[in-house]
Amino acid sequence: MAKTSELLVQKWDTLHENGMFDLKRQYITRHESKATMPSRVLRYNDVAEEIHRLIKKCIAEKEGFRAYGSRWSMSNIAHQKDNMHQNNLMYLDLEILADDMHPDSEYEHENIFFFECGNTIKRISQKLNEYGKSLKTTGASNGQTIAGCISTGVHGSAFDTGAVQDYVVGLNIITGPNATDNVYLERHTKPSLNDAFAHRINAKVIRNDELFNAALVGLGSFGFIHGVVIEADDLFLLDRYVRKIDKNLALSLSKTLDFKNSEFKIDNEVDQNGKPSRPYHYKIFINPYVDEDQYVIEAMYKKPYQMAYPDPFSKIEKSIYKDLIYLLIKFSEKFPKSIPWFIKSLQKSILPEITKDEEKITATLYETFWDAGYKGPAFACSMGVAIEDSERALNALVKMTKAHPIPGIFAMRYVNKTEATLGFTKFHKTCVIEIDGIQWDKSDKIPSLEEYGTFMIEALQAENIPFTVHWGKSMDYAFPNLAQHMYGNNVDQWMKCRSWLLSEKMANIFSNDFLTTLGLDTYQNIPNDFIESLDKNGQPLHLIA
Amino acid sequence: MDIKLRRVYIISAILLLAALSLQSCYTTRLVSTHGVPMPPETMEGQDWYRDKMYGEYTAVVKTSVLTDGMMIKVPKEKCESGKLFSVEFTDTFGGNLLYMVTFGTRRKVKIKYVCMIPDI
Repeated sequence: MAKTSELLVQKWDTLHENGMFDLKRQYITRHESKATMPSRVLRYNDVAEEIHRLIKKCIAEKEGFRAYGSRWSMSNIAHQKDNMHQNNLMYLDLEILADDMHPDSEYEHENIFFFECGNTIKRISQKLNEYGKSLKTTGASNGQTIAGCISTGVHGSAFDTGAVQDYVVGLNIITGPNATDNVYLERHTKPSLNDAFAHRINAKVIRNDELFNAALVGLGSFGFIHGVVIEADDLFLLDRYVRKIDKNLALSLSKTLDFKNSEFKIDNEVDQNGKPSRPYHYKIFINPYVDEDQYVIEAMYKKPYQMAYPDPFSKIEKSIYKDLIYLLIKFSEKFPKSIPWFIKSLQKSILPEITKDEEKITATLYETFWDAGYKGPAFACSMGVAIEDSERALNALVKMTKAHPIPGIFAMRYVNKTEATLGFTKFHKTCVIEIDGIQWDKSDKIPSLEEYGTFMIEALQAENIPFTVHWGKSMDYAFPNLAQHMYGNNVDQWMKCRSWLLSEKMANIFSNDFLTTLGLDTYQNIPNDFIESLDKNGQPLHLIA
Repeated sequence: MDIKLRRVYIISAILLLAALSLQSCYTTRLVSTHGVPMPPETMEGQDWYRDKMYGEYTAVVKTSVLTDGMMIKVPKEKCESGKLFSVEFTDTFGGNLLYMVTFGTRRKVKIKYVCMIPDI
């Protein structure tokens, strides 16, 4: 039997110390050992029973329940005051056989993998590499769990690919205390696994695009995501270059992503006609306190995998002396005018090193976005805008930041449109403008992080720029009508899907302050036929009881 | 020399030695580029180990001409997988001083290690 340890912790915090939050009980569940229960499927089902049991206990005690992974989110999205379940020791992967594929599936069987919720990006990448496969994209690091990534919309800067949730093709969710409260969701237009597989994990199948897209970025409140089916890519290499380029060129590319017809050219990265190749990844770094003619940019080009390439880990990494940074932060709380000076002083340590052509780094995705763990109390605020608005949005945010300096630096990344109902990369190409740095304390001269978040929203609203915010990063989530402003009718659609999937009691149990603050916790009585399991042509298969 | 001045010199020297011996001179960490570190149950530290479960080994070991080296076995309860993810050696001024004043017969060893998650 799976075992759960119960810790009466009282306080809980994120990895980057964005709390502290009150917490009554923290659970950690571990599988039965491989030696005594060799079957992976049996162990997977066994741990599902344990989760049902914990949910039953929460119902009995009239308390909430929320799963979390590696605590990477900087907002309070993962927090729930009663019971929190740390699922990062639930990292099984289930083998998908050719016979498990749905007859209408258009996915290659070799690319479909099933991972339990607590698998980190790092472990998944290593597992896929064993099969000559890779994730299509990740965030800038690898410590987040797969369930955490998709629940908040973690993204990289692979602008033709999308965010992490965009290669998820199936979700196994535990929705309540009983064995029957276990569903396997897929898009009906893109089925991947067959009913027999779902039944093997004791789940009832619902194939429906609307429900799937709503649950995909479910903000941790559609139930307990137990397993995730992903579509992997063939293993590939990335050639990484860091350059300083003309600011106007960098921003013009930001608005179009039209590399082929731009002046940005790396000698090795051209097509047969000598035109610039299209990168896999593009990122711009901006120090808001310096008016520079050039910006540091990072570009990566996708290449087929080959065995022989130099070890990308060979550089010796030295960490910056943290106390010096904190001293500067403390100083800046009293004298905010010093912030531009010290950001400039630390610029060399903060920004990536400029590379010459021959110094390009070749590495797999796993190696490129390797460990970037804890480096002190950190903050990050991140907003999504359509790429056409990216320059205007950046100017507005930089102008506001100059008026209210905080110890951080801007970056712009680019992500393809998501199908997730509340996915924050919702624009046809989203430019994610983020500011990150080291936490500070509010003083009479420097705003608090919450106030800074308010200024960010106000700055974009004043310019009439449609935007979204990264659910897992710091922001003023209490800003009036924020969710509706960002997502319009999708908010209602999302809440209806949630209300359909969960009973009212369970919707309350899986709710938290984050959801309430955003007004996303409203429960509606939804008719049973609101969602139907459909075949690939959109015809109902059966009514779901 | 004036007694007062001598006292100031002595106190300053003691304080300097104390400060130097308390401070870590240098930390070297050997880290695997593969494998996943074991996560902790709770996050309490404020350093690289914040999101890792770690074990520590601190001892003053005796050395002699007959001793070639030493082997430290990682305890099972601190390392379920038996696979090391990282090993950190800390070299302190105090440790070096001990080595010097004992003519190499005593050596302070301070090791911090993280294990990988077990295969399940």
